[in-house]
Amino acid sequence: MSENAISGLQQRLSAGAFAVTAECGPPRGSNLGVIQQKGELLKGVVDAVNVTDNQTAIVRMSSIAACVHLLHLGLEPVMQMVTRDRNRIALQSDILGAYSLGIRNILCLSGDHQSFGSQPDALNVFDIDSMNLLRAVKNMRDDGKDMSGFELNEAPRMFIGAAANPFADPFEYRVIRLAKKIGAGADFIQTQCVYNRERFKEWIRLAREEGLTEKVYILAGVTPLKSAGMARYMNSKVAGMDVPEAVIQRMAGVPKQEAAQEGIKICLETIAELRETKGVHGVHIMAIEWEQAVGEIVSAAGLK
Amino acid sequence: MIVGEQKSLAEIKDLVMPYDKILVLGCGTCVKTCFAGGEDETAVLASALRLAFKTEGRSVRVSEFTVERQCEDEFIQEASQAVKENDCVLSLACGAGVQAIARRFGKTVVLPGVNTTFIGVLEKQGLFTEECAGCGDCKLAIFGAVCPVTRCAKKLLNGPCGGSQNGKCEVNPDTDCAWQLIIHRLETLGQLDNLRTYIPPKDWRTSNAGGPRKLVREDHII
Amino acid sequence: MNETVKPKITVMYCINSFVEQAAFHAAFKNDADIAFVKLACSSMVKDVYLLRAFEAGSDAVAVFVCPEGHCRYVEGNLRAGKRIAWVQALLDEIGLGGNRLALHHMSAGDDAGAEKVIKDTLAALEDSGLSPAR
Repeated sequence: MSENAISGLQQRLSAGAFAVTAECGPPRGSNLGVIQQKGELLKGVVDAVNVTDNQTAIVRMSSIAACVHLLHLGLEPVMQMVTRDRNRIALQSDILGAYSLGIRNILCLSGDHQSFGSQPDALNVFDIDSMNLLRAVKNMRDDGKDMSGFELNEAPRMFIGAAANPFADPFEYRVIRLAKKIGAGADFIQTQCVYNRERFKEWIRLAREEGLTEKVYILAGVTPLKSAGMARYMNSKVAGMDVPEAVIQRMAGVPKQEAAQEGIKICLETIAELRETKGVHGVHIMAIEWEQAVGEIVSAAGLK
Repeated sequence: MIVGEQKSLAEIKDLVMPYDKILVLGCGTCVKTCFAGGEDETAVLASALRLAFKTEGRSVRVSEFTVERQCEDEFIQEASQAVKENDCVLSLACGAGVQAIARRFGKTVVLPGVNTTFIGVLEKQGLFTEECAGCGDCKLAIFGAVCPVTRCAKKLLNGPCGGSQNGKCEVNPDTDCAWQLIIHRLETLGQLDNLRTYIPPKDWRTSNAGGPRKLVREDHII
Repeated sequence: MNETVKPKITVMYCINSFVEQAAFHAAFKNDADIAFVKLACSSMVKDVYLLRAFEAGSDAVAVFVCPEGHCRYVEGNLRAGKRIAWVQALLDEIGLGGNRLALHHMSAGDDAGAEKVIKDTLAALEDSGLSPAR
C-alpha cells in the first residue's frame, strides 16, 4: 500500500480497479473460531471484508473486535458502525480506538431498528444519524478535530463509506440522498443488493447526470439466492428489497437441488452487467452465511 | 393533548389491594379526552373495583371525585376533603397530575391508574397519534411541519433510512414513514431543496436528556 | 325454614323493541325479581349503568335492542352492541363473568320471544350461580 493511501481498498479503487468486497457477520458469542473460519474462506479472494455491527439489532461480537481478528488473519476489514446503539461520545471514542488498532475503512449507517432484534425491549440511541456520522469521521480525518472542535492527538484517517438503497421509496429522492451523503463525506458507497437491474441502471443514470459517479466510488451489492423461498422472503419481508417476479420465477423454475446454482448464475449475470455499467466501481458480495460461495463467484466472474 | 391509557383492572387491583378506603380521582382535561381518566371513566372504574372486591368477598369503600385538572392548585384543592377521608388516592391523571397530587398531600399514598404515553392529537374518532416529543428546540419549519424527532423511529434528521417502503416505516407497517410524509409535504410546498441541506447533529440539551426541565416566567411572579 | 333466594335480573329495554305488560310480571313472579329499565334507545346503555345494575344486586342483565337494521335512530343498536361487548370484557376481568350480561334482539309485540329470553337467562343462572358480588 502506498504511503498516501488511506487503505488498501482506497488504493485499489483509485487505481481504477473493479473492487470486490464481501461481508462477515460476527458470531453470537465470543467464539473466535467462527471468524477464523470465515476469514480463511475470504482471504485473498476479495479486496476488503465488511464486518457488521449488531446487524438486525441482534447482539453479536462487536464489529471493532471482529475487525481486529480479521486484521490478524491478514484481511482488510471495513468496520460497519451504526448510530442505533451508541451516542456521539461512544462513536467517536470507538473510531479513535479502531484506527489505533489498524482499522482503515468505515461504513457509516443508521442501523436496523431494535424492534427487529434480540433485544426489542432496549432503549435505542440515535443521538446522531448516519449523515452526521459521515461528516464527523470526515472532519476527524481532514481537520484532525473531533465533534466538539477539539484538536485530536493524532487524527484517525479512515476511508469513509455509506450505504445507498436504489430500491427504497421514494425513488425520486434517492439520488438527492446520494448527493447529500457525498457532501457529508462519503468516499465510497455500497448499495443494497441488486436484482432489479433496470431500476438500478435508472438510479445510476440519474446519479451520473448529477455528476455523482465522478465524486464517489459506487460498489453495487449482490447476493446469490439459494432458493425460490429465499427470493420470495426477501421481496416481501426484508425492508427496502426489490426482487422482480421474473427472478423469483427463474428460481422456482429449477429443481430444488439446482436452485443454489441458478442463484449463483443469476448473480454472475448481474455482476457481468454491472461491470459494463458506467459509474459502477465494484461489487459488494453479501453471501449471508454462505461465504464459500464468494470464492466461487469471484473466480467464475473473473474478478481476481 | 397528553394521551394515556388506563392500566388493566388486574394491575390497579394489585396497587389498591392494601387499602380499605380508596379514592378514585379523575381529571377532566387530557385524560378525559382520550377516555382514560375523566369523570365517566372514574365512575366505571370505581364501580368495577367495588364489584371485583365484592366478588372476592371483600367490602371496600371506593369513592369517586373528579377535578378539572390535576396539574393546577386551584383545582387540586377542591379534592382536599375527599383525599382526607380516604386511605389512598388512585389518580387517573397523567403522570404529572399524579405527582402534583402527591406533592400537595405529602402524607397520602398516591397511586397511578393510568399509563401516560405521549403528546398527541385526536386524528379521527377513536384514534390518537403521537406528534411531539418535547425536544425543546422545534425545527418543524425545515421539515414541512412533520416532526422527524417524534415520528421517525430512528429520529433521523437528514432523510429516510433504507427501510422505508411503500410509504411505511420498517418498524410497523401501520405507521407512515415520517420522511415520506416530509418529502410529500415539502414537494407540495415547493420546498424540496430543504432536503439537500445538511442538518447537523441535534443539541439534545433542551430535551429531557438534559435533565428534567423547568419553565420560569418571572413576569408572572410577584 | 330455608327460603331459597330468588335470582334478580335487570332488563334494560329500548321502548321501540318491547312493551312492558302486567302479564309479563305475573309470569315470573315466583321465579325471579325482575327490574325493568326503560330506554328511549338501546344505545343509552352507558357502561356505568350496566355496572351499577350489578352493584345493585343483579345476577344477570339482559338488554333488549331492536333488530339489526331496524333502529329508528339508525345506529343505536350498533352502539349498544359495542358498549355491551366492552362491559362484558370488563366483567370477565372483574371475575363476575361477561356471560351475565347479554344483548337480545327483540321486536315489539314478540312476548313469546321475550319470555323465552328470561327463561333462558334464569336457566343459565342455575349453571353460573347467583352473583358473588350481590
